[in-house]
Amino acid sequence: MTEESIIGIRDLTKYYKGADEPAIDHISLGIFKDEIFGFLGPNGAGKTTTISILCGLFPPTKGKVTIDGLDIRLNHEKIKHIIGIVPQEVALYHTLTGLENLQFFGNMYGLKGKALKERIGEYLVRFGLEKFARKQVSTYSGGMKRRVNLIAGLLHKPRILFLDEPTVGIDVQSRNVILEFLHELQETGTTIIYTSHYMEEAEKLCNRVAIIDQGKIIAIGNPKELVALNPEFKNLETMFLHLTGKGLRD
Amino acid sequence: MFKYFAAYRKEWLILIRDPAGLVLLFLMPMVMVVILSMVQEFGWSTISREPQVPVLFVNTDQDSVGNKFQQGLTEAKIFTLISQLDSVPVTREVARQKVLEGEYQIAVVIPERTSERIRAKIRLLVNKTMTSLMMPDQNFLAGVTNTDSVEVIIYFDPAVRNSFRNAFLSSTREFNSKIESRMIFETFQDELRKLFPGFNMPVIDYEPSVYFKEIFPSGVEEEILPSTTQHNVPSWAIFAMFFIVVPLTSSIIKEREEGSLIRLMTIPVTYMTIFMAKVGVYLFVCFIQFLLMVLAGIYVLPLFNMPPLEVGANYLAIAIMTIVSSLAALGYGILLGTLSKTHQQAAAFGSVSIVVLAAMGGLWVPVYLMGSFMRHLATFSPLNWAHAGFLDIFLRGSSLMDVFPEIIKLLSFFAVTITIAAIYRTLKPPIST
Repeated sequence: MTEESIIGIRDLTKYYKGADEPAIDHISLGIFKDEIFGFLGPNGAGKTTTISILCGLFPPTKGKVTIDGLDIRLNHEKIKHIIGIVPQEVALYHTLTGLENLQFFGNMYGLKGKALKERIGEYLVRFGLEKFARKQVSTYSGGMKRRVNLIAGLLHKPRILFLDEPTVGIDVQSRNVILEFLHELQETGTTIIYTSHYMEEAEKLCNRVAIIDQGKIIAIGNPKELVALNPEFKNLETMFLHLTGKGLRD
Repeated sequence: MFKYFAAYRKEWLILIRDPAGLVLLFLMPMVMVVILSMVQEFGWSTISREPQVPVLFVNTDQDSVGNKFQQGLTEAKIFTLISQLDSVPVTREVARQKVLEGEYQIAVVIPERTSERIRAKIRLLVNKTMTSLMMPDQNFLAGVTNTDSVEVIIYFDPAVRNSFRNAFLSSTREFNSKIESRMIFETFQDELRKLFPGFNMPVIDYEPSVYFKEIFPSGVEEEILPSTTQHNVPSWAIFAMFFIVVPLTSSIIKEREEGSLIRLMTIPVTYMTIFMAKVGVYLFVCFIQFLLMVLAGIYVLPLFNMPPLEVGANYLAIAIMTIVSSLAALGYGILLGTLSKTHQQAAAFGSVSIVVLAAMGGLWVPVYLMGSFMRHLATFSPLNWAHAGFLDIFLRGSSLMDVFPEIIKLLSFFAVTITIAAIYRTLKPPIST
């Protein structure tokens, strides 16, 4: 990991239509090249909104985002080539097979022929899906769907990968495969931005985390260092609960 | 182009993965064309058919006029006259009751002494004429008394449509005019025979002096006879074709709801590519739908004793008209699918708006029968442009150049709707902002 920012976020603010309170409130931070950065927070904290803006899905109300030095508002089309996204929803065509889905999304990234076939084959084997590749996604288990969902965002080998709660609702085995893979991916030079509710998972996986609540960053840093700086908390989860409160969220 | 074909392949695979839906997509329009053409067969028919509408006929005259009325209505071959129910002659009261109950839609009552009273009235007319104009010294009015008009009673079920009631009244008035004319002519002959007893009056068979020859101008050498099929098949085919809006909007909304569109937004591919791939696949569906509906018009309708659809020989014009009409329907579907937030919104607005545009466009009631405001409004319906184009080709034998204005309108509609959809989707991402 190098301490050279690949993503710059300055004074980022987002108000949704008709909302009195901002979903994101003047966030500023830098995400380093090759790091795994986690956005942690309770429901409605602003994690998905932040990732959506970083991916260019919609513009911020205020503030600036640069990706690899490019202003996202002015260079969205260029930026699309270097980012990959794994949405929170299983963003696949359920009546197509896993293979057909991957071929389609690969084609949309401009990949074709033998190169695409090999890359898909490689990932299917890596995620234990080769036997199910020709079955419709609708017949897959939750874990299998999540794995295909992940592969679809990786086919073009993005330099920056956004993952919005990629392990939600899946079994331990699938989660383990995904987390191991993300570590491997980081080693190949991919920057990973990740959101999760699982504190233990984030603690193990992320080089740095930002705890967001009510649109504001309330803590940022290496998870182990954050816990070490606050010895009253035995782990990230207790610190998280202390910072964000135990009250239920929407 | 490579991305377009990849997106096309994806749409195609999604479509064929639902074989039941695909069969319905092709079968339902065919069934609709056949059934609705059969339903409308009677209303539009210009060709003699077997008697279809039962009419209660109460002939208390039992003389020449009543009998000729009966004969005339029977020969019209539109009505089946019923004079007896359960072997009992129908009375005026029974006829009235049956119509009131909706069991029969029309009942005709020829009153007693109708022939006698008409004869007396005509005699009075003839004799007055002869007395005043020809032979003022002769008294032709001796023994002739004045008489009132005869009242033939016709009971109509209130549910009978005005157009049908008017058609029936026109037919009966026509028979009556014929009967009266003939009686006047015969009465004149009788009086002349009395006046000139030695003169051998020739028997003249009265025939009308004017015949009406129907010609249906056509751009081709062979005259294309209008028939229910020629009118109905294009109308219902266009209507069915525009209903592609429903599955198309569903496909767009599903893609959005399942999150695939969000992923596509982060991929270097344009909305236009995604939309045009859908258009490509559904254009094929529309084309096959239309082809099947035309084949149903040619081969299935005759099985139900209806005239076959005649498409002429201008296949290129038909094909291009089909393509541009489909494109207009698909552009509308893409726009609705993009603007609608839910399946319910799209299905409700999509289907109702097609019905409204079809009615407005003259698919059910011809535009020339509409009021001036509606006639003006009709010119804004893409279904009207498609309908006008197909009628020109099927009924008037028009060429591709003749329907060029309709082609341009439909293509422009497609271009405008799909551009609005792409701009809207670019400015307003498919997630709440």
